[in-house]
Amino acid sequence: MKLKPALNITLGIAAEIIYALAIILAAFLISLALTKL
Amino acid sequence: MILRPRLEDINNIGYYLGKIMIGLGLTMFVPIVVGLGFGEINPVLDFIVGIEITLIFGFILTRLCYTEKDLNWMQGMIVVSLSWLVAMVLGAIPLYLSGHWKSFLDTCFDSMSGFATTGLTLVQDLDHLSLTHNLWRHLIMFIGGQGIVIVALSFFVKGASGAFKMYVGEARDERIMPNVMHTSRFIWTVSLTYLFLGTIALGVTGIFNGMSPLTSFFHGACIFMAGFDTGGFAPQSQNLLYYHSTIYEIVTAVIMILGAINFRLHYHIWMGNRREIIKNIETVTLFVTITITFLITALGLERLGVYPQVISLFRKGFYQLVSGHTGTGFQTLYPVQFVTDWGSLSMVGIICAMALGGAVCSTTGAIKMLRIGVIFKAILQDIKIIILPERAVVVQRFHHIKNVFLQDKMVRPALIITLMYLVLYGLGSLVGMWYGHSFLYSLFESTSAAANVGLSCGITQASMPAALKITYIFQMWAGRLEFMSVFTLIGFAVAAIKGR
Repeated sequence: MKLKPALNITLGIAAEIIYALAIILAAFLISLALTKL
Repeated sequence: MILRPRLEDINNIGYYLGKIMIGLGLTMFVPIVVGLGFGEINPVLDFIVGIEITLIFGFILTRLCYTEKDLNWMQGMIVVSLSWLVAMVLGAIPLYLSGHWKSFLDTCFDSMSGFATTGLTLVQDLDHLSLTHNLWRHLIMFIGGQGIVIVALSFFVKGASGAFKMYVGEARDERIMPNVMHTSRFIWTVSLTYLFLGTIALGVTGIFNGMSPLTSFFHGACIFMAGFDTGGFAPQSQNLLYYHSTIYEIVTAVIMILGAINFRLHYHIWMGNRREIIKNIETVTLFVTITITFLITALGLERLGVYPQVISLFRKGFYQLVSGHTGTGFQTLYPVQFVTDWGSLSMVGIICAMALGGAVCSTTGAIKMLRIGVIFKAILQDIKIIILPERAVVVQRFHHIKNVFLQDKMVRPALIITLMYLVLYGLGSLVGMWYGHSFLYSLFESTSAAANVGLSCGITQASMPAALKITYIFQMWAGRLEFMSVFTLIGFAVAAIKGR
């Protein structure tokens, strides 16, 4: 596999995982806000 | 006047159905190899029986109905709807021979639940089911998540035109590449890449949680297949509660969200267009709807004081929510806790999440994000038309791989499919109420079945009436195929009886 496509796939997977983690973080902040307020 | 189906129609349908059956039979070699590796001889024999029956029927159909003609639209749709029913019955055979299901109907229920990536189950004593059978339960989720027809498309079907009709019939109206065979192979590439990464992540997490390496990686592979394909089966009867691990829950939550992303979006992101993930109407809508439905659920739980600690509210409340929204059905609660602990508002939050689902052309069921986004944009456009001066030209745009101008011809199918899902959710809850369950619990279980989720509040169990089992099987089937191929099959059956 050439370097650039492999790098694109790796960064693409990283972008998708960061998106999923952003959703999880938002939910955690909601939980935090509701239990602390 | 309705035209009676011709012999040529039946011939074409039989031939392609036979090919799909052969494809399904070949996938049964995977549990056989694993079973031999684990030294489970009796379970392997169950699969040899299953393969024999599947391949014999497949070869008979392809021989009897041999044709070189391509499928037309009607035939393609019928092949898809029939192949899911046939896969349910044939896939159930090795499971039934294990003796862990009370009846063949129960096994068919689990088989359809697996193929349709639902996750509701009627298995008995799951904790003592052989590894071979357990792997098959999860493998059929993996096959069903990609699409049974996709399996056949990747290896057996030659005609590109007929292949595309079956691809569309399986509720995948977005072609990723110009050639539908390349599209199906790309879907496999994404799934197998994530299978490798996900199994390693879950395997390592399991080892850190004290599981033996072999068990940890076996569970990792099973949980990944059920998570990424938004199925919801698990190797243990307590489902994800068995692991009692925050890290395990976060890793599986990430896997579920990845499974809810459109394969076409995976393609563009993997090709270097990474900004698409923050611009696309589906990912934006998914982020917003998960946040709103979790807020509803969390408010309900907070009001009743069910989880006073932030970590327990997050781990219990959010996990069930994201599991429901992505259509997975992993559960870290006992089903009865929804009834005894959660209260109405939080259950309504979960029901709304389940009803919405993930992205189109993903492994999830339900209404889906593109349709929700399009309907929201259409409402916005109508409001603007009312507010702005009469001479103003109102143009509504959204971003889905490229900028798209909203047109009525996009809104109509989105509304029709949404309406049909709402009717399906309602019909299932009517049957639940007929058998004495309350409206809320019936709606919860019905939405879970029709949206291919798998969360349960306790209605789904082996002792429930056969009519309710058949209702849920129908809901899982129709919900997974998004109605059109199911309606075509019903029309075909009517034409065969009443046609001239």
